[in-house]
Amino acid sequence: MELKIIEVSKNFESITALDKVSYTLKKGVYGLLGVNGAGKTTLMRILCTLLKPSSGSVTWNGHDIFAMDGKYRNLLGYLPQDFGYYPDFTVYDYLMYIASIKGLPPFVAKQRTDTLLAQVGLAKDKNKKMKKLSGGMKRRAGIAQAMLNKPQILILDEPTAGLDPNERIRFRNLISELSEERIVLLSTHIVSDIEFVANEILLMQNGQIKMSGTGEEIVCSMPEKVWNCKIPKPLVDSYLKKYKVSNIKNLHEGAELRILSANQPTEDAILETPSLEDVFLYYFGEKAGADDVQI
Amino acid sequence: MMFRYEIKKVFSKKSSKIAILLLLIVVIITCWFATDVFFVNENGEKKTGYAAVRQLRKAQKEWAGVLDEEKLRQVIEENNRINATPEANSKKLTDQEIAYGWTQGIYELRNLLNCSYGEDFCSYDYYRADDLSTEDAGAFYENRIMLLKNWLSDDGKYLFSDAEKKYLIKQYESLETPFGYDYMKGWTQVLEYAPTIIMVGMLILGFLVAGIFSSEFSWKSDAIFFSTVYGRNKAVAAKIKAGLSIVTVIYWAAILLYSTIVLVYLGIDGAACPIQADFSGWKCFYNIQIWQVYLLTVVGGYVGCLFISLLTMFISAKTKSAVLAVMLPFVLIFLPSFLGNIESPVINKILGLLPDRLLQVSTALTYFDLYKLGNKVMGAIPILFVLYGILAIFLLPILYHEYRCKQIN
Ligand SMILES: Nc1ncnc2c1ncn2[C@@H]1O[C@H](COP(=O)(O)OP(=O)(O)O)[C@@H](O)[C@H]1O
Ligand SMILES: [Mg+2]
Repeated sequence: MELKIIEVSKNFESITALDKVSYTLKKGVYGLLGVNGAGKTTLMRILCTLLKPSSGSVTWNGHDIFAMDGKYRNLLGYLPQDFGYYPDFTVYDYLMYIASIKGLPPFVAKQRTDTLLAQVGLAKDKNKKMKKLSGGMKRRAGIAQAMLNKPQILILDEPTAGLDPNERIRFRNLISELSEERIVLLSTHIVSDIEFVANEILLMQNGQIKMSGTGEEIVCSMPEKVWNCKIPKPLVDSYLKKYKVSNIKNLHEGAELRILSANQPTEDAILETPSLEDVFLYYFGEKAGADDVQI
Repeated sequence: MMFRYEIKKVFSKKSSKIAILLLLIVVIITCWFATDVFFVNENGEKKTGYAAVRQLRKAQKEWAGVLDEEKLRQVIEENNRINATPEANSKKLTDQEIAYGWTQGIYELRNLLNCSYGEDFCSYDYYRADDLSTEDAGAFYENRIMLLKNWLSDDGKYLFSDAEKKYLIKQYESLETPFGYDYMKGWTQVLEYAPTIIMVGMLILGFLVAGIFSSEFSWKSDAIFFSTVYGRNKAVAAKIKAGLSIVTVIYWAAILLYSTIVLVYLGIDGAACPIQADFSGWKCFYNIQIWQVYLLTVVGGYVGCLFISLLTMFISAKTKSAVLAVMLPFVLIFLPSFLGNIESPVINKILGLLPDRLLQVSTALTYFDLYKLGNKVMGAIPILFVLYGILAIFLLPILYHEYRCKQIN
């Protein structure tokens, strides 16, 4: 079980969406972390054979995935970022249809559909029309369709985007439930989504994988330290300009800043343990999304 | 399964259901027009409804049979007899209506006389039959050929090549005469409105199939569709199959419904009469019988609908846009009628081979569209059938390939 990305580049006219990406995925959960426009979706589309790379190749156990054609797609489960469906189909019909184009015989399709509907908590909504579902329910239907063929490669593009906090937690649990015995590649721009589920985190920026490793490894790789310091109100602005600040807490007489810096920024600054969020800020120069406002 | 759900995708849209309803309404309205036959009774009263149909049929059936010289003489005699009655010469409207009522039995034959004894090939004088005497009867069939020949050496001189002229004359001469005549209102009415049904049907079919390929993109369901094992093969084939099935089932359902209603109501008598036995087909150079005209019309309509639908689906797949795709049938149906106003032999040659002609074979049969294949001259109709039949078959793999190689970005 080895999905190998070899020097994959993708250009859209003048834009380089992917720049010589190489990586090897084996069994486990991979979190693809990057800001909007980093190239996550483009990479995932290539892995789903929806887009042809401009150069480079992707192999599954040594075979080119585009040459494998249907054989490769048979291993694939995909939840796209803009998850589209047939609005007037019921949830059940929707899954049965996807099962049919995934080559499941009708009898098996029925069983799988019922199992998955129960697993994602949609069993009693199976006769509802897709367009009548809430955002979270749609996403769960989306996960269910991706899982119909028991894929060896499960690709989820921003599966938690647009979900409320409860749905998000639920979703994370669901994903860790589904992540056994397969390759799961999960993209997000929200650190907390993958901090605990992913065995390995890939930081993506400008079409390149800047860094990868376990959460711990990535945190350790950061050369700067994290400080917590209280700053009086008039000075807050200048500190925000001078340092990378990963968190601000407003206090009565000023603010408590979480600052990334190699040197101690103030005398009373306290050294903190860096988190993945701090690393995200360090590498991407912008704050990791805590919600979906920026989508 | 895939096929079933493809169909379901089409008909789960409300607009598709409305389109089907619309087609049903059009069929019913057209049936109503096609069966709107009247009969003027002995009191000069205009009657409609089934009783009128039966009376008209009875009146015209009396003149059924081989249209030989003797029969034609009788027709002329009867026409002259009616014209000599006081009612026919009365100034009173009711009297004139009564006199008209008497002519209903020979009405269609009288029209044929107007054609045959016309001043020239292109003119039609409604009163020409009234000037005839029984001695003229013998020239009925010869006139048809003579008028053509005169026209071809006069006004029609530059419209055709020598080979084409020869072909037309040969076709005219090989019409078997004397031919049989019968009451054939059922057929003529069915044929008159068939193009309406077929064209409206085509527009609605185009509307239904236009979304089959592009909707995956507008629904954004394309990414999942194309990442499945059958997404680039069997599922695409299922879409094509669904499109063809929708066209086939709905087309034939509409045609059968329409034809059955009209033919049952007006009768199927006269199926074996030649197309020339009806005055609208008098000049036709195809020597075929009415039932063959009907068959060509409905089968031609089917071939045309298949071709245009496949082209619509192709545009839908190519452009990912149902709007562009839906416009195609409109353009193919309405553009030729605009271009038709331009008097140019070259344009006419092209127009004669456009697919809209297949949607109106019953009308196109009467057009003088001739083409030279090798050294053989042919009418447009057989060419249209072969041409668009083949093109439709060619479109299948092209459409399949176009969709299966789609990239999603
Ligand atoms: N179809 C496309 N045409 C042109 N540019 C595109 C297309 N898809 C993506 N891009 C560009 O490629 C870059 C990467 O996009 P994307 O892969 O969607 O990033 P992400 O999923 O990480 O937000 C962006 O700059 C985006 O504008
Ligand atoms: Mg994206």
